[in-house]
Amino acid sequence: MKLHICSLCWLFVVSPLAIAQTEPSFAPAAIEFFERRVRPVLAEHCFSCHGPEKQRGGVRLDGRAHLVRPRDAGPLVVPGLPDKSALIRALRHEGEIKMPPKGKLAPGQIDDIATWIRQGAAWPADNNEPSTPADWRDHWAFRPVRMPKVPHVPTAGPTPQPIDAFIAVKLAEKGIAPAPRADARTLLRRLYVDLVGLPPTFEEVEDFVRAYGGGRSQAAVAAVVDRLLSSPHFGERWARHWLDVARYADSKGYVFQEERRYPYAYTYRDYVIDAFNRDLPFDRFILEQLAADRLVAAHQAEPKVQAALGFLTLGRRFLNNIHDIIDDRIDVVSRGLMGLTVTCARCHDHKYDPVPMKDYYSLYGVFASSIEPKELPLLQTPAATEETVRFQKQLAELKAAVAKFEEDHKKELAANNRKFRDQLVALQRKVDAFQATAPGAPPRAMVLVDAPAPIQPRVFLRGNPNMPGPVVPRQFLEALSGSDRKPFREGSGRLELARAIASADNPLTARVFVNRVWLHLFGVGLVSTPSDFGRRSDPPSHPELLDYLAATFMNDGWSVKKLIRSIVLSETYQRDASATSGTALDPENRLYWRGHRRRLDFEALRDALLAVGGNLERALGGPAVDITKSPFSGRRTIYGFIDRQNLPGMFRTFDFPNPDTTSPQRFETTVPQQALFLLNNAFVQEQARRVVQRADPTGRLDTAAKIQELYRLIYARAAEDEEVRLGEAFVQHAVGPAEMTPWERYAQVLLLANEFVFVD
Amino acid sequence: MMRPFSRRELLRRCGMGFGALGLWHLLAENGELTAAPAAAAGPLAPRPPHFPGRAKRVLHLFMNGGPSHVDTFDPKPALARYAGQPLPRPNLRTERRTGAAFPSPFKFRKYGQSGIEVSELFPHVASCIDDICVIRSMYADVPNHEPSLMLMNCGEARLVRPSFGSWVTYGLGSENQNLPGFIVMCPGGYPIQESQNWQSAFLPGVYQGTYINTANVGLDRLIENIRNRAVSREQQRQQLDLLAQLNQRHRERRGDDPRLEARIQSFELAFGMQRDAEEAFDISREPAHIRNLYGPGVQARQLLIARRLLEKGVRFVQVWTGEGQPWDNHDDLEVNHRRLARDCDQAIGALLKDLKQRGMLDETLVIWGGEFGRTPTVELPTPGANAGRINGRDHNHWGFTMWLAGGGVKGGYVHGATDEFGFQAVENRMHVHDLHATLLWLLGFDHERFTYRYAGRDFRLTDVHGRVVREIIA
Repeated sequence: MKLHICSLCWLFVVSPLAIAQTEPSFAPAAIEFFERRVRPVLAEHCFSCHGPEKQRGGVRLDGRAHLVRPRDAGPLVVPGLPDKSALIRALRHEGEIKMPPKGKLAPGQIDDIATWIRQGAAWPADNNEPSTPADWRDHWAFRPVRMPKVPHVPTAGPTPQPIDAFIAVKLAEKGIAPAPRADARTLLRRLYVDLVGLPPTFEEVEDFVRAYGGGRSQAAVAAVVDRLLSSPHFGERWARHWLDVARYADSKGYVFQEERRYPYAYTYRDYVIDAFNRDLPFDRFILEQLAADRLVAAHQAEPKVQAALGFLTLGRRFLNNIHDIIDDRIDVVSRGLMGLTVTCARCHDHKYDPVPMKDYYSLYGVFASSIEPKELPLLQTPAATEETVRFQKQLAELKAAVAKFEEDHKKELAANNRKFRDQLVALQRKVDAFQATAPGAPPRAMVLVDAPAPIQPRVFLRGNPNMPGPVVPRQFLEALSGSDRKPFREGSGRLELARAIASADNPLTARVFVNRVWLHLFGVGLVSTPSDFGRRSDPPSHPELLDYLAATFMNDGWSVKKLIRSIVLSETYQRDASATSGTALDPENRLYWRGHRRRLDFEALRDALLAVGGNLERALGGPAVDITKSPFSGRRTIYGFIDRQNLPGMFRTFDFPNPDTTSPQRFETTVPQQALFLLNNAFVQEQARRVVQRADPTGRLDTAAKIQELYRLIYARAAEDEEVRLGEAFVQHAVGPAEMTPWERYAQVLLLANEFVFVD
Repeated sequence: MMRPFSRRELLRRCGMGFGALGLWHLLAENGELTAAPAAAAGPLAPRPPHFPGRAKRVLHLFMNGGPSHVDTFDPKPALARYAGQPLPRPNLRTERRTGAAFPSPFKFRKYGQSGIEVSELFPHVASCIDDICVIRSMYADVPNHEPSLMLMNCGEARLVRPSFGSWVTYGLGSENQNLPGFIVMCPGGYPIQESQNWQSAFLPGVYQGTYINTANVGLDRLIENIRNRAVSREQQRQQLDLLAQLNQRHRERRGDDPRLEARIQSFELAFGMQRDAEEAFDISREPAHIRNLYGPGVQARQLLIARRLLEKGVRFVQVWTGEGQPWDNHDDLEVNHRRLARDCDQAIGALLKDLKQRGMLDETLVIWGGEFGRTPTVELPTPGANAGRINGRDHNHWGFTMWLAGGGVKGGYVHGATDEFGFQAVENRMHVHDLHATLLWLLGFDHERFTYRYAGRDFRLTDVHGRVVREIIA
């Protein structure tokens, strides 16, 4: 006991010495307190005279080293002792020096600073001077992507492939034995759900089990992977992940009396599906989404590619406030593509990342110099079918009504008479609604084009458009531009912006995207904040692996399919999810020692229900459909109409992301409302009816055979004896008559069970 | 440290997505699990705020459209002196042009020991005035409905930010796991700005308000999927028993994964929820004298439901006057305000008395008000914009009244004042951000520390504003 106490004392004695020699490290809570309560006050009231530019009276306050250094009059800050700190005396106006000169700080602010000193004057070690080049350039995400050396892993078996080697090194360091590969059935289901978002059929599973065999044939796995990657359903699955980033919705949000639907949003969604299916190189995908209009004008792309611009245009409309619309576009571009929170710099320089306000307004200028034409371009010349002819005629009539009203009521409209204005809006709404709903409406692209004359943006002081500040050029972000940054010259500059983002020299773009892919395949990203790679994000769990993936991705021509293929063929991906060998050392599986158990997301769950019910429509693309109401659509969930203003309860209940802003990652909640939907919603009941009908269309099977058939359809496996017994008991003892037969009630239970929803 | 942060840390350490842990905590609470693991916080599990709050739950009575303060809780006798004449000062700019002084057509008198003056529109509310804190110096930013609704509900006029109710439910969880933690009632349809008024924005969807159209009476039209049309309760019980057996077999082979367990239990909770929700919304279970106290009509019904929900542990209930913007009386103010007040006055008075007699008022923060008030001057005819009757008032964000009751506020107290005509808050002015900061304080939160990390920064309800107004706290 005594010995124990002594050793503690020894620790206390030694630690101050250690601090003197190296940088102290502080608890995150203490840093948090500093960042929240102290740094902002110092920055606002002190740094202008006692910062990097000026050091009045030889006093500098923007780094811990300056604060604690010995001075004749005693250090400004004595960690732990606020009353001995010259800074506090000056702030409290206790001595001759009274700071700040403009007037005493609020008592709460002084107390906070005193508290901070009392607790040790925490200051982030690598973060003494935010946004100064010297240290932000050292942040891992801003360093150029370099192909790392693949570590050598001593092993008895074949040389591990690079992904597994990077993973193995960390596991060996920790002494965690990785889980073995999952069995054939589990692996196949995982691949189906991850790659195409649909469950495999019984026959597909059996075929694979045979091919995989006892030898765990990786050739068999590769064959399945290649087949799934070339399935058109691959594009549907992966497009949906991208649509989360693109904050896709089929409506504008609240816009007074205007038509709310975006009639042609679906053309962007279909473009994304097609892009993933064609394995459009990701850098090209970026160019098209930001500047397809320029590529088409230069004959570098087909006209239909213009649908890609929906990425920019289909955000919320914020009551048509242009500044907020542009802010939304800057956000989706910067966070979505580069993991950089540029919109933090709308009102002030970014507090942590190297994004000055000027850079925000440089990008603002790019989008303010781009406009949406009144008449959206057709994606293709419509064939003169009866339907399209009728459509054109009716549309022309509706438009003529608008024109006539404008002509007849020129005077009232000029006087901004509300009644007439509302009537005009109502007429225009008819035109828009007709286009949004008429079956013959030819698809159009929701484009953005350059304005005839680009604007010269000004900084809006404190983000207020009524307080214009200095003019800034339209140009790329300083931190990512190198020393020879030049203003954009071509039109709005969107294409140049796109090229700067979709560049192998951009340290963020490839890293951010490969991390998103990893996230979808492992449930957690190598970087745990997928849309924030800034200096306040957690560092990657496997930095070399991240760089390996990013570098390889670019070397492979930004091929998304190759990237996914290489990951799912790794041993790391294929590991068993039920293993427990590393639970004690790494309970959250951040080192990927076992497989990740997924839960079907909203889309995969509804699609799986349709698939086993035998009424999944496999057609691709087309206008959005209402999937909430009976008669229930058999279309895949990605084609469901997304109303961002009043997102239906079903979407929200199953963690569909808020489509108002780019979504880094979906939440996964477990709430009783999900169970209520599955138990009580007519859609689920209908699927239960259908699967029973499929299992035994003639009604001739005996009970055991029927149970077996249901297991094959729903779980793609045979039922075990005990499961057959449970099923028999249920249908025999099912009470009373109901709208659902005992078999249908039984099938519904199978659809509700964890086996249906979780993917090992 | 900050509760939400440490909770997130906790979840992360345990390897779950946010909320994925599900329902351990409440299972323990329901006695179905004895030893919940340390990380057993479901997304709605109750949790303590920064410091012990005075209020445990919130009831927000939203008079959408903007009730006139000079006709309700802010008497301005000076207007009578200028009736029909211009005020001796220029009219402030509001949404539309206004003209001469428009004295209130309603009589005011003093109520209670405090002697606070209330107009004849709200006699029942006035009878509780000694429990009410009247804030006569509220102000907002612009004279338009949409941004003002957003500001009042979400603390931000335009950008997508979580609503006050979402923040509170996120911060405190809810006491009843069989009902949503944040319930919004509005008869007939949505107010304008619709479900954005109760959005959760970047907070998880579970914290968004659950909308209930109280014009409906049947339970299945009140809450989605609450009733099963195809099978009876007994038949569903059989289904759930089989489900439990299948899930048990599934789980045994998969080691210890709390996500599997959470989902298993969510079905049992759903089963219980069907029963509890039915009970909560069925006001026929109230004794006749209570129903008589609230009176007839949809306002009475929804306020009585509100009380039942609060009693059952729902954290935040917001009750709107009705679809669109009922209090927006640009014309015929006298007729319309009289009708609107008559519809809700008795029920609001009854609710305050009812909460008090049950010992709930102390811990229930009741908020009454619109998104702004109305001008003391008459709205001038604008072709197409109003009926041109010259008997209504325009929007007024410069100064208006809200009142609070219960939850630790000073009863029988008037805070702040507008100018002598009621145009503008001049004394102890209280911005909507200040109101939010104060409400959060009453609930046990330091509004500056109650943050959520999103898109690279820490967001809070009051953004970079807000001051706790201690004067109104008892």
